[in-house]
Amino acid sequence: MSTLINLIISGLATGSIYALVAIGFTLLWQTSQTINFAQGEFVMLPAFFMLAAMNAGFPFWAAILIGMALSMLILGVAFKRMLVDPMLKHGVLPLAIATMALSLAMKESVKQFYSAEAQPFPSLIPSIDLHVLGAVVSTQSLGVLAVGIGAVVALQFLLTRTSVGHQMQATAQNPTTARILGIPVERMIMYSFLINAGLVAIASVLVTPLYLAKFTSGETLGLAAFIAAIVGGFNQVRGAIVGGLLLGVVDNLAATYISTQYRAAVPLMLLIAVILFRPQGLLGSAEERTV
Amino acid sequence: MATEAALELDGVVAGYGQMTILNGTTFKVPASSITTVIGPNGAGKSTVFKTIFGLLKARTGTIRFQGRDITNLSPRALIEAGICYVPQGRNIFPQLSVRHNIELGAVAAGRGLTDMPARIEAALDRFPVLRKKADRQASTLSGGEQKQLEIVRGLLLDPKLVLIDEPSIGLSPLMVQETFAILTELRNKGVAILMIEQNAKSALAMSDFGIVLELGQTRIMDTAEAVLNDPRVAALFLGGSIEPKASGDNAPQVN
Ligand SMILES: Nc1ncnc2c1ncn2[C@@H]1O[C@H](COP(=O)(O)OP(=O)(O)O)[C@@H](O)[C@H]1O
Ligand SMILES: [Mg+2]
Repeated sequence: MSTLINLIISGLATGSIYALVAIGFTLLWQTSQTINFAQGEFVMLPAFFMLAAMNAGFPFWAAILIGMALSMLILGVAFKRMLVDPMLKHGVLPLAIATMALSLAMKESVKQFYSAEAQPFPSLIPSIDLHVLGAVVSTQSLGVLAVGIGAVVALQFLLTRTSVGHQMQATAQNPTTARILGIPVERMIMYSFLINAGLVAIASVLVTPLYLAKFTSGETLGLAAFIAAIVGGFNQVRGAIVGGLLLGVVDNLAATYISTQYRAAVPLMLLIAVILFRPQGLLGSAEERTV
Repeated sequence: MATEAALELDGVVAGYGQMTILNGTTFKVPASSITTVIGPNGAGKSTVFKTIFGLLKARTGTIRFQGRDITNLSPRALIEAGICYVPQGRNIFPQLSVRHNIELGAVAAGRGLTDMPARIEAALDRFPVLRKKADRQASTLSGGEQKQLEIVRGLLLDPKLVLIDEPSIGLSPLMVQETFAILTELRNKGVAILMIEQNAKSALAMSDFGIVLELGQTRIMDTAEAVLNDPRVAALFLGGSIEPKASGDNAPQVN
């Protein structure tokens, strides 16, 4: 029983990271039809920005801020202006393929210009085991879960309670009508790219201490976020949250109770089950784009 | 038509890509009036509205609003100038609440508008159905209610010119009557209304002026009554065509 609680809590912690990455993924899809196959590498890269800043002599907290800023600039503004805007003119598929190429380019660049070796990364939250009701829960899991939930709550507040959030939702649901009302549609789309860049940077800070910083470390994460987004309903922020948390828990339970050989197949089985029995996703509705 | 014009189009040419739909469209919309545009399907009626509202570029020609040149201004600038556009079909944000949908009608006013909550309350008072469903998702409204929402939203900033494209489509006769009543009420307050309608008879019956558009040109521009009784209009709606009198005479015929 106590192991189960422990597994669920650490699963939710990983799941909250998946959720952050999946939310960003669905936001880009909703506001500008971008299927970002480089989303995993978007999580991998900010950690290297932060490592580079620390190597340059900045303390950890300042390195995090620098990594965030660079992430916004490069994975937000430059990504939109230099890749999405020019490629979207040619269609959704060419853009998706361009993001695949980007993911390769990002991996190769990190390997070439930083290192091919896994780099240790400091943890924001000290790892202490707490004994609660007979279960051992690590503060690291709780901290990750708290930061993840905090980020999601803040984003939901922005989207549902503020005028800018309503304008972003309006842009996603009906861009033509949004323009007719004088909503600055282009700016709203840019905001969603900036939010995505912020979310992947937060995810990077949370996940890298667990798995080390390596040029390949985005691969599993990108796949997990993709699965979480589809399981949750692809076109819904709420869906991405549920999908991410569910995947984290299922993944963690599978790692313990199912042989390691089959573990990797479990998320894919979850994906196939959803596609077969509920193709619109757990919270999704058919053919609608919403935030 | 001695009245002062709210809106004037002069030789407007516009279209989609290589295709030209408006071939020098020219007409006037008098202030404090309801002017209805009729014409066969594909005549370019909706295209005129999109061009006035800055969604399509006018290649040549000028569009003036209250004497000021507004050709090719952005929708945002046109809203700020006092124009509102209610397009054909459903133009709502289905997953947002009715209230949030309405609030988005005030975005163009920025933060300058301090009496926004009061304006929204007044709008909801005027439309009890929308008040009752204010906190529901807009997708739960009926077709007529959605159209009302669009109109309320468009009126939030007190426009001086309303462009409304086929408001009666898909509405029950009662809803059509109500919608026309709202437009008449606005006209009586001094707002100029330019409306496109398929249902020519009932629309002209409540209008002050009528415009017949064909192949992107004004064929007839007169009082609504005169347009209603014009034998050429009957011919046009029976599938005929109003040819310009002399060949090469591209000037719109204005009675
Ligand atoms: N977005 C568009 N792209 C290309 N052609 C269009 C578009 N919208 C309308 N058209 C064409 O322009 C012509 C005029 O359309 P429209 O202005 O909608 O006519 P209506 O008078 O029925 O409102 C039609 O032939 C139509 O097929
Ligand atoms: Mg039309």
